[in-house]
Amino acid sequence: MSAPALPTNRDENWRYANLRPLAKARLEGAPGSPGMSTNPIARKLAGFDRWYFSDGHFVEFDASPEARIRLLDARQAGESFAALLDSDLATAGVDFTLARINAARGNEVLQIELPDDSPPLNVELVYRAVTPAANGTSYPRVQIVAGRNTRLRVVEHHLTTGDVDAVVNASFDVALRPGASLDHVRLQNCSNASAVFDTLVAHVGEDAAYRLRTVTLGGLTSRSTAFIKLAGRNARCELTAASIANGNQTHDLFAEIEHIGAGSTTREIFRGIANERGKLAFNGKMIVRETALDADSDQSLKTLLTGNGAEAAARPQLEIHTDRVRAKHGATTGKLDEQMLFYLLSRGLDRPAAQALLQWAFIEDVISQIEPAALRGEIESQVAARLHSVAALPGLVGERT
Amino acid sequence: MSVPLLKIENLSATVGGKKVLKELSLEIKAGEVHAIMGPNGSGKSTLSYVLAGRPGYEITGGRVEFEGRDLTTLSPEERARAGLFLGFQYPVEIPGVNNVYLLKAALNARRKAQGLAEVDAYEFLQLVRVKMKLMQMDESFLSRGVNEGFSGGEKKRNEILQMLVIEPTLAVLDETDSGLDIDALKVVAKGVNSLRSADRGVLLITHYQRLLEHVVPDFVHVLVRGRIAKSGDKSLALELESRGYDWVLEVA
Repeated sequence: MSAPALPTNRDENWRYANLRPLAKARLEGAPGSPGMSTNPIARKLAGFDRWYFSDGHFVEFDASPEARIRLLDARQAGESFAALLDSDLATAGVDFTLARINAARGNEVLQIELPDDSPPLNVELVYRAVTPAANGTSYPRVQIVAGRNTRLRVVEHHLTTGDVDAVVNASFDVALRPGASLDHVRLQNCSNASAVFDTLVAHVGEDAAYRLRTVTLGGLTSRSTAFIKLAGRNARCELTAASIANGNQTHDLFAEIEHIGAGSTTREIFRGIANERGKLAFNGKMIVRETALDADSDQSLKTLLTGNGAEAAARPQLEIHTDRVRAKHGATTGKLDEQMLFYLLSRGLDRPAAQALLQWAFIEDVISQIEPAALRGEIESQVAARLHSVAALPGLVGERT
Repeated sequence: MSVPLLKIENLSATVGGKKVLKELSLEIKAGEVHAIMGPNGSGKSTLSYVLAGRPGYEITGGRVEFEGRDLTTLSPEERARAGLFLGFQYPVEIPGVNNVYLLKAALNARRKAQGLAEVDAYEFLQLVRVKMKLMQMDESFLSRGVNEGFSGGEKKRNEILQMLVIEPTLAVLDETDSGLDIDALKVVAKGVNSLRSADRGVLLITHYQRLLEHVVPDFVHVLVRGRIAKSGDKSLALELESRGYDWVLEVA
């Protein structure tokens, strides 16, 4: 197998990514550890089926059998999935190189298919990478088709064992048929030595709604690439992303949302904190095609720099091909609000506590939208643990009066 | 009781390089309520920010002592913990920081500085409920973000609520009456009066005399062009109300 050309920082959508670990990674699939403990993460969410994977390989599930979730051999999955879709999700170009490597190297695909008008389904996926980079890459792959008027909730946890320098290359394909609704939460809390890449492609049909909430905490390098096509009339997308880069972590998110259907809408919110020498980038590209009359897109991208060596870039991009459109965008990169800080100090809070509180408030803006509440609580704890100063604030996390 | 709560001597201060306070002197003893009135731009808010230690407000001369300590060497948070409270003219909104969290953190910061144990959640809630009732605030305000989406009047009541919870030794209230209707003004005044005691002081900064009908001051000062141009008792406020500031400007 000849190695495909990997993206580089010279490629337009990859300027901020840290691609060095990828270049050094061993592309063979990591073996996984079938006997891994499935306990170390938080309790299964009530009403959810939970599936465990090790290096992308299925280990076990904690659920009653559900015919709408299937584990397939990667070689069959491509064809069977293509047959389920209305449009082509496979795309060429360097942005999809990693997804193509995933398709070529991965062994297993988890397929979730909800037939039209079938009952709601809630699924938690726990992906744990256990193998060091020198011994192979993890290839999680999920394909989702939500039939007409169905409601699906998917929660992904991406973790590692200990401080392993794992390489993860995940791929997620989503097709929402008319009237379908997907709530998708992705929590990436891998080790700070790992390299985590993912490619997400979504096709959203008429009156369908896709709510994607991502929280990126781990990885020496983390790169998320999302292509969301609002193909149908009144298709809706809400993308909220939170990211915290400490130490020498680099987190880079690229999201392209293409409005094709008339009246399609997007709400995109990014809140990122770069501490110490952390680097953060969010590149949000909005495309509005001629057909997307009365499309409505709103972007709010904010980053906070708290370290002297920290860097952040929040980049909204608009490409609009029709006049009948409402597109709003705002992007800020900055330090803590001085007025807010003085207010808290004037109430006797010490400076580190006041700063931590304001950092928390900044990121909580997006975390607070995560459902269900038990998951939000778990994520808040993990976010607090990443913000060292916040973790020291007594009674902040989980305090609801 | 010889040491005054606040002793300001020949205080000069600049904001953005502009000289705003010019050799201002003022002394507040425990148990006293002082009111500072004055036209726009006379330096009233600057005085409050200089006392609270806001960055950008630079002292260029004179002394400020708080209970005998040099206030200017203390950081804003040290001043607050020492018992100085500033009620802001425009309280900032802080979405994502719970009102109840701030109240509790502020109270415990003060108690810690006084060598007292922190209050537990139960004690705290009991205390805050009493104060909220006095300020006629619904308990739902506790779980909201600090001042987030509050009306102008609600923000001012929230300032007074914070003051009542913290129980400072000296409260500096910067135009706490502005933007209040008469009912809200009475509630705010009730809150301020409830804090009055022999060991505390209050400095009211206001444009209008009407707050002083409800919180009756022991002394009234007129601030003009960065210094106190005239001092008197509560009757001075009435005189200012009927005659305006022009006559003071002339004597100043």
